[in-house]
Amino acid sequence: MKKVDMSINLGGLQLKNPVMPASGTFDLFEDNNLPYDTKVLGAVMTKSIFLKKRLGNPLPLICESTSGLINALGTPGEGVEYLIKNKLPIFRKANQTVIVSIGGDGVKEYKLLAERLDKVEGIAALELDLSCSNNVDNIIIARDEFLTEQTVAQVKEVSTKPIIAKLSANVTDITKIARAAQRGGVDILSLINTVSAMAIDIKTKKAVLGNKVGGLSGPAIKPIALKMVWDVAHTVDLPIIGIGGISNSEDAIEFLLAGASAVEVGTAALINPLVMLEIIQGIEKYLGQQGYSSLEEIIGLA
Amino acid sequence: MKGAKLIQVYAKVLNQTEIITNHFILRIFSPEIVKKAIPGQFIMLSAWKQKDPLLRRPFTFNRLFPKEGSFEILYKKVGKGTEIMSYLKAGDQVSLLGPLGNGIKFPQNTKKIAIVCRGIGVAPMLAIIDKAKEKGIDIYAYISAATKDLLLVKKEIKQKAKSLYITTDDASLGTSGKVTDFLEKTLKDTKIDAVYTCGSKRLKRHIERLKELYGLNAWVILEEHMACGFGACKGCACKAKKDNNHKGKYFLVCKDGPVFPIDEVEV
Ligand SMILES: Cc1cc2nc3c(=O)[nH]c(=O)nc-3n(C[C@H](O)[C@H](O)[C@H](O)COP(=O)(O)OP(=O)(O)OC[C@H]3O[C@@H](n4cnc5c(N)ncnc54)[C@H](O)[C@@H]3O)c2cc1C
Ligand SMILES: Cc1cc2nc3c(=O)[nH]c(=O)nc-3n(C[C@H](O)[C@H](O)[C@H](O)COP(=O)(O)O)c2cc1C
Ligand code: FES
Repeated sequence: MKKVDMSINLGGLQLKNPVMPASGTFDLFEDNNLPYDTKVLGAVMTKSIFLKKRLGNPLPLICESTSGLINALGTPGEGVEYLIKNKLPIFRKANQTVIVSIGGDGVKEYKLLAERLDKVEGIAALELDLSCSNNVDNIIIARDEFLTEQTVAQVKEVSTKPIIAKLSANVTDITKIARAAQRGGVDILSLINTVSAMAIDIKTKKAVLGNKVGGLSGPAIKPIALKMVWDVAHTVDLPIIGIGGISNSEDAIEFLLAGASAVEVGTAALINPLVMLEIIQGIEKYLGQQGYSSLEEIIGLA
Repeated sequence: MKGAKLIQVYAKVLNQTEIITNHFILRIFSPEIVKKAIPGQFIMLSAWKQKDPLLRRPFTFNRLFPKEGSFEILYKKVGKGTEIMSYLKAGDQVSLLGPLGNGIKFPQNTKKIAIVCRGIGVAPMLAIIDKAKEKGIDIYAYISAATKDLLLVKKEIKQKAKSLYITTDDASLGTSGKVTDFLEKTLKDTKIDAVYTCGSKRLKRHIERLKELYGLNAWVILEEHMACGFGACKGCACKAKKDNNHKGKYFLVCKDGPVFPIDEVEV
């Protein structure tokens, strides 16, 4: 079989293949002890970072549901300076393409973070996690067209890097938010983040999670995510990174056919750390068997 | 352990026994994992290919048999995952990720250790006892349970321990008092170099008090709900104790633990 071209250019972000971790489900410690060479990934991605240290939500933070995982972590983290000093060097060693995910309590924080990270070497792109709940007025940016446009525009003003806007599924019409991000000047869209969800323990008669409500990920959300990618791909002419329940190469190929140019894998890699490697190999094999010479040829065929 | 790569393997079940109702010992052949395993560490196990249940389940090493290339876990059937596991028989395949977390390490020149646990909390203790025996360390065991049948692996512990103290809530064996009272009695005339206990709130609280009084080295082995077991999801956080400069800090049970110095964490 002849070699397939797995590389892809996403609005200025060049990837050697389309598979990367989803924010918040991948970490490297001093010893990067994952059971494969992380250099094979299309990119590596940090957990969403804020300016300051954050503790996250009351325990418990996660629970399983039918074919899914509900989490209400509240995005704990050490803050951006810690990331730059302690985490980035490890991520850079692990892969040549590092994407930093940024959170924010309001538009201003995204801008400050983008400004700070623009001065840092070795970051290929920023992904804006627009689904964080805003502590000031409890508005989630990703649910509001105006705020989405504004956040992207403000970030673009101070950043020279390709900007990815990560969209929330918890909206009436995701294509409207996608268009708003486009008006703000975004380079790439990624979708979806987790789907609002909860679990109740019938013995204690109380919500299972400390935060009561959380976000659902994993196989349970795959068809929802796929439809949203398909909708956005048919509305907005921007590269899309598909996310949501991708657990094997067949799932990933579905997203590519729906119009995604790349994919992020979250929950599945928590269970099988080798899954991204298997997905890369699986896509390559599929393309070869189907007689394609490059990944680009199948994007959006469905 | 630092530096060691995670191992993900399929492994064969050697056998499984239901030791008492709903409590099982599962023996698994996996030379790769057992070679690196340290008592107190754990594995993430999956005995299902479908997506429901979805996550692997964490289990500590109950016994390690490095020469045979196998290990045992001791578990209680409590839900979906352990129910599926309870049907495993010789020759079946499971998927393992491990060994995970930090295991125990005896302090230098340890001569005597105590293990204090309740119910299924005994799961990591036999591996610790075996390791201690290997090093010629004396074992003092303090175990409690709701009733005498739930004093799991009592026979094995009795064979290996220098002394064994038992309490049961219904006084079906031993007294119905606090098992830590026996530990306190021992401490009055015996120097114990290290104490290991499970995550029972009550036991932990009593041992912390004894630590204050007798200056003990004590460790607690914690459990928390886990999605990954290797530090990626941050779902297994536990609160660090406020003193010790840890105000507002969290540890990851899977990566920083599951063995913690007893006064570092809240349960
Ligand atoms: C490090 C570690 C070591 C453990 N070692 C042992 C052991 O040796 N023997 C043993 O009997 N049990 C052990 N446990 C607990 C064991 O993992 C749970 O009993 C098991 O996951 C229950 O799964 P289930 O599907 O049957 O229950 P369900 O209630 O259906 O599980 C639903 C979800 O909750 C999680 N869960 C439920 N109870 C617990 C718990 N107590 N701790 C952590 N997660 C839980 C499950 O993993 C699963 O994700 C250990 C837990 C940890 C964290
Ligand atoms: C434990 C956990 C933590 C997450 N943390 C973040 C985060 O910090 N930032 C973010 O944008 N998304 C976060 N997500 C969402 C994922 O990046 C992803 O969008 C979602 O899980 C759907 O993909 P999956 O089904 O492949 O997991 C998190 C998901 C999980 C399960
Ligand atoms: S279980 Fe995922 S970080 Fe500990």
